Amino acid sequence: MEDPDAPLVARARRGDRWAFEQLVERHQHRLFTLAARTLGSVDEAGDAVQEAFIRAWLGLPRFRGGSLFSTWLYRITLNAAHDQRLKRRPEPLDETREPADPQDAFAVSELSTALQEALNELDEEYRVAVVLYDVLGCSYSEIAELTEVAEGTVKSRIFRGRSRLAELLGTTAAED
Amino acid sequence: MVAGTHPDDLELFDYVEGDLTQARLAEVQRHVSECEACANQVRKVEIGRDALRESQFMHLPERRGEAVFMNLPTKAREPGRRRALSPKQLLAVLTPLIAVAAVIGVLATDGPGGDGSSAGATSAGGGSAAVDSSGAEAEGSRLRTVLGPASAVSDELRSKGFSVQVLDERVVVSGATPKAVRRALADRGPGDVEIVVKGR
Repeated sequence: MEDPDAPLVARARRGDRWAFEQLVERHQHRLFTLAARTLGSVDEAGDAVQEAFIRAWLGLPRFRGGSLFSTWLYRITLNAAHDQRLKRRPEPLDETREPADPQDAFAVSELSTALQEALNELDEEYRVAVVLYDVLGCSYSEIAELTEVAEGTVKSRIFRGRSRLAELLGTTAAED
Repeated sequence: MVAGTHPDDLELFDYVEGDLTQARLAEVQRHVSECEACANQVRKVEIGRDALRESQFMHLPERRGEAVFMNLPTKAREPGRRRALSPKQLLAVLTPLIAVAAVIGVLATDGPGGDGSSAGATSAGGGSAAVDSSGAEAEGSRLRTVLGPASAVSDELRSKGFSVQVLDERVVVSGATPKAVRRALADRGPGDVEIVVKGR
């Protein structure tokens, strides 16, 4: 499959910051959606995305185009999100802190929905699979590559993740 | 009486996604229509899928995006690769070459019967245009490329109060900040039209 990012990636690999900025503009919202939906925190997701782009910039010389650039970015973002989760303090950050600006407030409200509460309850492997497939539209093969499992396992995780999500949404609706 | 044995999870998933072969689809469809457990399972998977697909795409807060650009470290060059010249460095290299070319042009046309003054003027004019053109790029910041055509992008920016020129299919915005221009074009998707912003 031809990578639509290839021309910009080639320039960015030679140290062209402008080309890399185009790539940031192109992918930032998808990476933020991935991080926010899997972490359930706007602050942590913002930190993870910032960190992911810096790691990507520094790691570009090692990117050989064996996968789509977007898949490579998702992998880095999932790793950065995982690192954020390890740093997590016992109490959730977003419940006590006022959002710094209106855009943060909007994102926080997005993460306060019943859907996100249900996603937060899913096992991480199911959460990652359904967000990549149903929210970001990744293919089975991309998800298999990202999560290092077989395509059949990816399908099974999406199946079970969606099913559990529906049960949790039913519970949430009943409690509301 | 339920038709056939229960399909496994993968087969039910393929059924929901519409990925079964025609022959198997008919069998699973018949089974699901008669088996309450499988019908419930299919319903839950569809509810989960619809909830996820209807969710909003989230936008990285702008200050976070700006922070990425500001915090990008200077990195080591790719091994074995020569670093590309910046527009300013390129200008520094090209200017003496253009001057030498102009002098050679004057000497060549000042030969027997040549009109030195007009040839010199033409060369100098060409050199000057080249310097202006690269100078504009050297002074400006290039933003993301956006969906064109360039005339539509310039019309949009003009309607929002920007001073705009279209040069070689690039849109050059004068007297504005990159941030303001980026905001003004936030709704325009990625494309081939390059935006250059020349500061105040």
